[in-house]
Amino acid sequence: MDIFLQQLINGLTIGSLYALVALGYTMVYGVMKLINFAHGDLVAFSAYVGLTVFTQFFGSGATSFVSVIIIFIVTSIIVAFVGVLLERLAYRPLRTAPRLSAVVSALGASLVIQNGIMLIWGPNMQIFPADLLPSTTWNFGGVIISYTQFVILILSAVLMAALYIFINKTKMGTAIRASAIDQDAAKLMGINVNRVIVIIFVIGSMLGAIGGLFIGIYYRALTFDMGWLYGLNAFIAAIIGGIGSIPGAMLGGLMLGLFNALIAGYISTEWAETFTFVLLILILIVRPTGLLGEKTAEKV
Amino acid sequence: MNKNTIIALTFIIVMAFFPLIADSAWLGIGITFLIFACVAFSQDIILGRAGIFNMGHAIFFGIGAYATAILNVQFGFEIIATIPFAIILPVIAAIVLAGPIIHLRGDYLLVATIGFNIIFEQVLKNNPGDITGGPNGIFGIDVVRVFGYELFSDTAIYYIAFGLLLITLLIIRNLDNSRYGRALFYINKDEIAAKSMGINIPYYKLFAFALGAAIAGAAGSVFAIQYSAVSPESFNFMQSVMFFAIVLVGGSASLPGVLIGTFVMFVLPELFTEFNEARYLIFGAAMVLTMVLRPNGVWPASFGNIPKYLKEKVKGAK
Repeated sequence: MDIFLQQLINGLTIGSLYALVALGYTMVYGVMKLINFAHGDLVAFSAYVGLTVFTQFFGSGATSFVSVIIIFIVTSIIVAFVGVLLERLAYRPLRTAPRLSAVVSALGASLVIQNGIMLIWGPNMQIFPADLLPSTTWNFGGVIISYTQFVILILSAVLMAALYIFINKTKMGTAIRASAIDQDAAKLMGINVNRVIVIIFVIGSMLGAIGGLFIGIYYRALTFDMGWLYGLNAFIAAIIGGIGSIPGAMLGGLMLGLFNALIAGYISTEWAETFTFVLLILILIVRPTGLLGEKTAEKV
Repeated sequence: MNKNTIIALTFIIVMAFFPLIADSAWLGIGITFLIFACVAFSQDIILGRAGIFNMGHAIFFGIGAYATAILNVQFGFEIIATIPFAIILPVIAAIVLAGPIIHLRGDYLLVATIGFNIIFEQVLKNNPGDITGGPNGIFGIDVVRVFGYELFSDTAIYYIAFGLLLITLLIIRNLDNSRYGRALFYINKDEIAAKSMGINIPYYKLFAFALGAAIAGAAGSVFAIQYSAVSPESFNFMQSVMFFAIVLVGGSASLPGVLIGTFVMFVLPELFTEFNEARYLIFGAAMVLTMVLRPNGVWPASFGNIPKYLKEKVKGAK
């Protein structure tokens, strides 16, 4: 039972990370119907930026709560800027082009970011500093929660709640939802769809950046091609929840995290990816629109 | 003879005499080009002609290569005898894997095929039953023996690959002029219209998958012969992305387009090895730039493939 509870905590932590990244995928897909393959690499990029900000401004000395917040804010802003740039250069010119052209453009952008990271920071593994957050752990009757896990769980929950309120209760959120349903109709209602798309890239990239920093803090080892791995997992999470659906991405992320942790804890780590993708393919076969996705008829 | 025939004939003649002028390094690049061109054409049948978003094409290429490698090294088959298996096994895999997901639309199918490719790679690496050789792959594949002759020189392998390319082009030519080819184009242009005209969509889509897998499997077999070794990296997800990109960068359903795509994606990197580090960065930027400037590819197919007699009818009607 202890192992189960422990894996539950670990799974929820990983799941929160997936969910943060999945939100970026699902928002972009919702409005643009495009799989943003470069999103995973933005996440990796943010971990590297966070590392550099940390070593440049704070050295390896003691870290305070304020410095961590500064790292998060600076990194999010830089990554949001890159995200908007990505949309402007690689996606906006292709908005009316055949859909596959945009997919290839996204793949190309992913290669650019991934290899840009390699050229800037080198091909070798980088290690994230361990002392960014206190290494305190709490033991609840055999189940260990680290400070890092606690922060990840709480902050992810807060961010997701904030996003949910933003999407459902504000004017801009309404515009985003309207653009997701029908871009042309949204334009006719006076919504500036270009601005909506910039906003979703800003929000998606910032959430991805926070996810990337947490990945750095939690796993500590950074490789330039890790974006694919986390990106694919997060993307699967988005599909499991129902791509385009924001609560779906949250639910899908948590579920995939739990699934991964339980597989790793009880069955095998060697075949972990296979299990993940078998789950994905089964869900696609049985319920292609995901758990919370709406069943929409194909447009004629 | 029209312009296209002349271009095609020139290309075939140039490729046929290429080994006479090329040194061994160039010959190697030439073989790579021919093999990857075959794979790209087979991907073009699935992606360009049938319009199925297949991002797991390296699976079929890999099954073909591994079929040759495993049957030859582990079971002692002659290379020639492994080739039928290298064609049939990918076809079976294509039907078994694509069958349950063939009804999925665009992006979902794309993600499912990515999933298959990653599972395939993990299977190769984890080496179940000790037959795939694990992360190192399999080496020491035999030379091709036909009627007592040993075809081990690069020139011989070049002509094997060249023969395969000619067969592939012939298949595609016949496909385009057949009921099957027209059905695939129709499905690609408008699936719902095709369905309402009574075209059995899953059947034709699976047909495209199986045909593409067969050609890719044969190409995989030649690939295994060329390097006399196979390893999982050659068939990973990144490779599938490349095959996917070749077709769309070159121009889907366009023969010269796919050849240009193959040249740009597989041959140019061989020539610019000094940019080794920045190679993929330039590559990615080129992919974005091509799509922004020419969304339909470098050399898009000219106005579908409407049969000539129909065009003449339209002219006559005017």
